[in-house]
Amino acid sequence: MRTWNTLRLAGIVAAVVAPVLIGAQPAHAANERLAAFYKNQVDPHFGLVRGGVEAVVKQMGAGAVTHYAPTRPNNLAEQLSQIEDVSVKRPDAILFMAVDPRGVVPAIEKVNAAGIPVLNYNDRVAGGKYTTYVGADDFKLGLDTGRYALRAIGGEGLVVIIEGVKGSTTSDQRVAGFNKAIEEFPKIKLLASQPGNFQRLPALQVMENLMQAHPRIDMVLAAADAMALGAVEALEAAGRKTAKVVGINGVPEAIAAIKAGRLLATGEFDGYKIGCVAATAALRGLRGQPVPATIILQGTVIDRSNLGPWDVPMDKRVCPKWEEVAR
Amino acid sequence: MSRAAQRDIQPRSGLAGLRERLGDEGFAFGLRIILILGIGVFLSASTQGQSFLSTANILNVLRQASLIFLLASGLTLVILAGGFDLSVASNLTLSACLAAGVMKATGSPLLGAAVALGCSTFAGLCNGMAVTLLRLPPFLATYGTLWILQGLAFHYMGGNEIFGFPPAFRLLGTGFVLGIPVPVYLMALVLALGTVVTRHLNIGQEIYAIGANPVAARLSGIPVRRRQLAVYTASGLMAGVAALVYLARVNSADSGIGEPLLLPAIAAILIGGTSLFGGVGSVLGTVAGSVILALVINGMNLLNVKSTWQPLVVGVVLLVAVLADLLSRGRRERIG
Repeated sequence: MRTWNTLRLAGIVAAVVAPVLIGAQPAHAANERLAAFYKNQVDPHFGLVRGGVEAVVKQMGAGAVTHYAPTRPNNLAEQLSQIEDVSVKRPDAILFMAVDPRGVVPAIEKVNAAGIPVLNYNDRVAGGKYTTYVGADDFKLGLDTGRYALRAIGGEGLVVIIEGVKGSTTSDQRVAGFNKAIEEFPKIKLLASQPGNFQRLPALQVMENLMQAHPRIDMVLAAADAMALGAVEALEAAGRKTAKVVGINGVPEAIAAIKAGRLLATGEFDGYKIGCVAATAALRGLRGQPVPATIILQGTVIDRSNLGPWDVPMDKRVCPKWEEVAR
Repeated sequence: MSRAAQRDIQPRSGLAGLRERLGDEGFAFGLRIILILGIGVFLSASTQGQSFLSTANILNVLRQASLIFLLASGLTLVILAGGFDLSVASNLTLSACLAAGVMKATGSPLLGAAVALGCSTFAGLCNGMAVTLLRLPPFLATYGTLWILQGLAFHYMGGNEIFGFPPAFRLLGTGFVLGIPVPVYLMALVLALGTVVTRHLNIGQEIYAIGANPVAARLSGIPVRRRQLAVYTASGLMAGVAALVYLARVNSADSGIGEPLLLPAIAAILIGGTSLFGGVGSVLGTVAGSVILALVINGMNLLNVKSTWQPLVVGVVLLVAVLADLLSRGRRERIG
């Protein structure tokens, strides 16, 4: 009789304690909500970033991610209202990149005050508090791509630079890198440095105008692939076969152009990797795992010899391993 | 005859008299020619004449101006008639994206062109119907269409680009005939057509009348709504033409190509002397405005003006162009 009572007591205790023990497991899947910001919906670079973010959200079993991108490309007013939206909806963490590195600062500071953790990815914002920065080193990208390009023409010749948008840190840093590379080759002459607004048509027209002023151009250093491709179109239409062009980004169209021999090379600013690593960092932060304050992704210069890993459709891409990038 | 009547009959002296003799449009155009020549002289001097004044560069500038002009040509008619069309740029975007997709899928430039022109004209027609049948204010109606067309383009492209079009098609943008770029011929053709319509056909006079005074126009028996429908449709059609030239020049399409072209198109029209209120202006003026815009950027590139200064330069030139027009106009308005 006493044994049976003990057993029943044990059974009741077990029945009460067990669910508590099970329920007390650390909350993994299904309830972390992320918000990810992009600069626009048109540049394929951000499509890659988004792809990386979603891949990680699935792999790490997080709940959901909401994507915010202005419908008018790079529109500050829209991004500001999206930031307001997000401070009301209160996701668990925000992955943020700014269309204007200074203009968003007050809005981000409000989000900081609301206590939502924000991670800055893609390129630096000029203010606000972030748990981590995940990005590339634009200066180094410009420097490496520039060096590659100048070496490819034997360290001497006539060069033009096509900048992005003046005041954008991405553009300014990459152009600074180009200029530093040019300094290293005394036989290189910089003919002109003109803005292409990160868009194809303006860059094409700038190239057409520069060709009028300079009958011989050996190398075009463009701060982004879209502009590099615009320059390529202009050069081809004018029949200037000797001029070579490099860009920065590594978007699919650039890879195709490198394969076809129309573009010499592009500096890797891999949106997919940035998305992967940023989303991983955000989720690790939420799960109490260690995350460094800054993660700079090294970029290689992609040319015909090594473009394999980038010549892959998005659904086949692979995220880099955390241990490799977070040192 | 009264003194006042006599005063009206005598040709006036000075600037106002010149304006009378040349006619408003002639005077306005002359002013712009002077501005263009002024910029030209400055640039020739600065570049020692070599790069700027060469035939190649002048054709280069004309070719660059032609895209904005084609986009703005239909819009000019709409504004002359007292309306507005904010959706031209989004119309270009959607037409270009659809044409790009069709050309990629079928390899046929003709099919692509048909799709671009068909869709853009249809969008223009819808704008026209919104303004004439639904009686929506043009600004609002076309602003709504802007978003609808842009949204359709986003949806269709899905954040991707389409690139690489048939070489036969590309001749439209990159080809030369007798040494002159094909888009320049298009610009000349549209200019000729536009001038014939606005100056020599009744419909042109009616468009100006509707813009100047819609009530009087209606009471005079002008079919106002039919004409408005026509100009909005024309605006849509020209957006499609511009889309094809864009694709042929740039060899690529994405859902963001049109947006940066809207303000330059409007600026070209206004610099060209067309009044936002309607009734005043010309297609020729829009050509001049497009050329001025292209010239400024051409000049800055040739002179290697630092990118920090470029927005400032563009702004100053635009203000000078508009100011010159206002100053000449103001004197006339003050007399009589």
